[in-house]
Amino acid sequence: MSDPRDYHDAESEEEDDFNPAPADMSDDEIKGDAEEDEGDNRPAAKESAAARKRPATTPHHDDDEDEDENANEGGEGDQEEGEGDDDDDDEEEEDEDEEIQGHRRKRRRDKRNAFFDIEAEVDDEDEPEDDEEAEAENEGFIEQEEPGDFGEAGRLESDRRHRELDLQRDRMNHEDLQKEAESFVRKYGHRRHARGMGDTSVVPQRLLLPSVDDPTIWGVRCKEGKEREVVYSITKRIQEKMGTKDELGITAAFERGGPNSIMKGLIYVEAYRQTDILQALDGMLNVYPRTRLLLVDIKEMPDLLRVQKTPTLEPGAWVRLKRPLKYAGDLAQVQDITENGLDVRVRFIPRLDYGVRDESGTNADGKRKRPIMGPKPPQKLFSEVEARKRNPRNLTGNPQTNVWTYNGDQFEGGFLVKDIKIQHLTVSDVNPSLEEVTRFTSGGEDGVENIDLKSLAASLRDSNATTAYLPNDVVEVYEGEQKGVIGKATKVQADIVTLEVTEGELAGQTIDVPTKGLRKRFQLGDHVKVIGGSRYRDELGMVVKISEDRVTLLTDQTNTEITVFSKDLREASDIAGQGSLGQYSLLDLVQLDPTTVGCIVKVDRESLVVLDQNGDTRQIMPSQIANKLPKRKLAVAADRTGSEIRPDDVIKEYGGMGRQGKIIHIHRSYVFCHTHQTTENAGIFVSRVSSVSTISAKGGRINAASSGPDLDTMNPAKKLNPVGKNDMPPPRQVFGRDKLVGQTVTIRKGGWKGLLGRVKDTTDTHARVELHTKSKVISVPKTDLMVRDSVSGREIKNYENRRPGGPNGTPTRPQERAAPDWNGGSRTPIAASSARTPAWKTPSGGGAGGRTPAWGKGGDGGRTPAWADGSRTVNPYDGSRTAYGSGSRTPAWSSGGSKTPAHDFGSKTPAYGGSGGGGGGGDAWGSKTPYGASAATPGVSATDAWGYTPGAGGSSNAYDAPTPGANLLGAPTPGALNAPTPGAYNAPTPGAPTPGGGWQSGWGAESAPTPAAAAPTPGASGGGYYGAPTPGAYTADTPGPRYTDDD
Amino acid sequence: MFFLYNLERRVTLHPSYFGKNMHELVTGKLLKDVEGTCTGSYYIISIMDTFDISEGRILPGSGLAEFTVGYRAVVWRPFKGETVDAVVVSVNQHGFFAEAGPLRIFVSTHLIPQDIKWDPNATPPQFTNNEDTTIEVGTHVRVKILGTRAEVGELWAIGSIKEDYLGTLQV
Repeated sequence: MSDPRDYHDAESEEEDDFNPAPADMSDDEIKGDAEEDEGDNRPAAKESAAARKRPATTPHHDDDEDEDENANEGGEGDQEEGEGDDDDDDEEEEDEDEEIQGHRRKRRRDKRNAFFDIEAEVDDEDEPEDDEEAEAENEGFIEQEEPGDFGEAGRLESDRRHRELDLQRDRMNHEDLQKEAESFVRKYGHRRHARGMGDTSVVPQRLLLPSVDDPTIWGVRCKEGKEREVVYSITKRIQEKMGTKDELGITAAFERGGPNSIMKGLIYVEAYRQTDILQALDGMLNVYPRTRLLLVDIKEMPDLLRVQKTPTLEPGAWVRLKRPLKYAGDLAQVQDITENGLDVRVRFIPRLDYGVRDESGTNADGKRKRPIMGPKPPQKLFSEVEARKRNPRNLTGNPQTNVWTYNGDQFEGGFLVKDIKIQHLTVSDVNPSLEEVTRFTSGGEDGVENIDLKSLAASLRDSNATTAYLPNDVVEVYEGEQKGVIGKATKVQADIVTLEVTEGELAGQTIDVPTKGLRKRFQLGDHVKVIGGSRYRDELGMVVKISEDRVTLLTDQTNTEITVFSKDLREASDIAGQGSLGQYSLLDLVQLDPTTVGCIVKVDRESLVVLDQNGDTRQIMPSQIANKLPKRKLAVAADRTGSEIRPDDVIKEYGGMGRQGKIIHIHRSYVFCHTHQTTENAGIFVSRVSSVSTISAKGGRINAASSGPDLDTMNPAKKLNPVGKNDMPPPRQVFGRDKLVGQTVTIRKGGWKGLLGRVKDTTDTHARVELHTKSKVISVPKTDLMVRDSVSGREIKNYENRRPGGPNGTPTRPQERAAPDWNGGSRTPIAASSARTPAWKTPSGGGAGGRTPAWGKGGDGGRTPAWADGSRTVNPYDGSRTAYGSGSRTPAWSSGGSKTPAHDFGSKTPAYGGSGGGGGGGDAWGSKTPYGASAATPGVSATDAWGYTPGAGGSSNAYDAPTPGANLLGAPTPGALNAPTPGAYNAPTPGAPTPGGGWQSGWGAESAPTPAAAAPTPGASGGGYYGAPTPGAYTADTPGPRYTDDD
Repeated sequence: MFFLYNLERRVTLHPSYFGKNMHELVTGKLLKDVEGTCTGSYYIISIMDTFDISEGRILPGSGLAEFTVGYRAVVWRPFKGETVDAVVVSVNQHGFFAEAGPLRIFVSTHLIPQDIKWDPNATPPQFTNNEDTTIEVGTHVRVKILGTRAEVGELWAIGSIKEDYLGTLQV
């Protein structure tokens, strides 16, 4: 039966099967059947056939039957017609209805008629399933038919009679049905009318407004909070009195109570007469009809019934308690709402002190005690153990479910669960903070955070009215007709926001939307600031996730993720601001106590978190900070390798955690560094200076001496004449015997000018001269003296210079300046002695030559290298200065190599340069270490501090004295130099000092100043009174190696 | 995105530098001062040339000479929505940090596809989907920049790999 029409047929067939069997008719049939049963079975079969045929052949009857059907079906038919229209004339309507129905049926029956002659087959074909039983029946009948053979005529006769009977019966039936239908119409006709009216008509509302004909409404005083109860009891009374003789005359009763309504304490009763009300409410509890009744003005009636949306409490919502007083202001969560909507079952954190104070609220005599005022016990989840300890009698419960009753209160999972009247709750502006809410969730037995953010959001949204929407906020409408609209707020007035729509179909339009349905809209990656009541207030961050109105952001300061409501956010500029509290801001260095400093690693609203120098973090109030240490940009420290570190350098911890970071503060021996590697303490860690090593200095500086402009690297003037300003002058040597003492001098100035004398004693500036001419000792400024050879009487220039300790400002100076050779010489002892030594010697040529070596050896020449090397080797900065030590510079003291050529002495000073032919010698000089070693080896004066320098050993200086070489020119020196240091100084050395006169000639004045200078010494004053020291010093001195090179 | 950008800067020179090669010195100082810095929204990667060095003006008080130098520089500005290749430098359970040149990018777990999960037990700890993708320190990733933030002297960005064609790069 795939065809729906077929299905209809089946249906109608069924209908037909039972419809024509009203009680009366079936009675007839049964009667008839009974009659015919006695005689023959065949009529029954005919009967059944006729029954089948009947509907088709008698359309009229069919109508009746329909009528009948309608009547029988009662409600159903009513409904059908009722739905039809509200016309008064049911008959008419019914006719129409029937016509339609009739038509429908006719169609169906026509169809069936077509099959009638071959009924069995057709039935079979048409409704195989349905007629299987019928078929079986038919077969039975047919079989029964066959045995009795009445012949064709008999059969026709019987058929006719049956038809007659059928018709007759139908007619009777029809009349019955008509009557019945009429009675039904009588019975239900008007009702149908009423229903039709109520169901379908659309009556303009204004026509429904109450008029003077309608009952009036009276307001009746009742007990506050009992409004609903009273109304319930009125309805109950109405039901009781219903149908009795004293039915209540009131038509309606209602209340507009509620905790915040101004109509509380009143119920409203609708009745025609005031007395009805008095009667109805007589003797009822909590209602006072005897007081003045308020007649409600007709005009006000509709307003009284206007539906006002009351804030609905849903399970899970957050409320605040007003009562019990102990819990006033506490947050509670709605668990359930009673049916009457008056009580709410809430769950909150108890404040119990377990009998420390008597909590029962009653005295022994049962009187209610005045509640003790005082500090509330702290909020704490109910503890069964505590209760059992203190007050076991009042405790009952089930440890399995963790439900306890204590002092009449019920505790579930530690929370106090209580029914509280709505009016004792604050429902709006709850503003639960996340901390409070978290306390509720953390109590969950599994400890899993299951904050119902939805209900939280709902609670918060109530207080949304105060949410600040500001012009230019991008907002989204999430509720109401304009849902989904996105726009930019242009104007905000009270709780109406005017938006300029930016997206979608409405783009460009301006609409007004209440804030209730609005939320701010952000996009991933937006830089936002938390505002409003969230505990993350003032945090800045970037949005990483948005779901509905919950936004997750990554905070700038701590790189942690927090989730807040979009209403608590504002777009911030893309510039990261760092938190600050008062004068203290993130990463400031503050003094906590006289011995402790700390770096601020977190700024909260009221407190700071500080990482102190010991690596501990502590939370402090701003008032606990002694003072803020200004940032010292120029702070310098030395790391573990001695390199200098400054703020903003990148360092790495040596050992420990090996953290690497940028220095933000240096305080005494502590460095506070910032790293991106970790988010702990905002990436700040503290370390000791001595346990970090520099990785890269800011701006590529490698130990630049100062942070000012580096004048050395670029200043052309310095490049031209690079006198190393870093070079340390040789230590002043103020001790030792002045060489001048005992010398023969002439006085050049003053009253004694021209007189010859002998120096008896000296001070720094003056000499006491014993005149030869006159036995008198006079004091003369040293500068006015001219030293002469005691034998030849020749002038010895620069003699004073032997005294190395002479400060630059000594009177000798002017003289030195005057003489070009001196110029270098004067400096030589101090800075670049060896380098210059040859220089000044050169010009002096033969004249002063004799002296040169002398002073070179005795004074500085000898020492210079010694000091250069010696002092440097021990210098802590050695590493960094190594460059100086390199061959070219060592002898020169300050890049002597480079200077030498400048002075055009290149050829003469090959030894200095460490270059040139005498590479060996140069090498020896080049690296101090070998030098130092070799110098020491001579053992000339191993014990002496100066001893390790051969020069010193050779010199005749006071401190050099111990060295054997001091006394003799040839003998000691070679020993000192050659013997121990052949490797270092190379073979040539021996040649150097020894040659004596030989090399004197060999060396031109210009070609080898030193030797030239040296030459005279041995030659001239081999046994001279100062001859001895000079050669000694000289040989020991650098020159030795130098000219070996040349050789 | 890289740009060739004309910029201007005032360079001061110490009096001791005054001389005939002052312009070289100015240029040198400019390079030293500017190259590799971040101005707030972009990084100056390299200075191509200077094209306009003004006359020096002595600043009263200090004696320094001030030059206004126009120069052309290659700058890099990360944009929201830009896709960059970066190298992962640190990984933690909240996400990972990657560096694209001088720019640090944080990719939160929210912005990593769901199937790539944090595996703290691996050594080193990593994000992995146990198939072809493993993100650990040193991994090359392609990241889409979602937002940038300027701090003093540096830029910060958050990125996402939760899109097609983003994520680890096969080397």
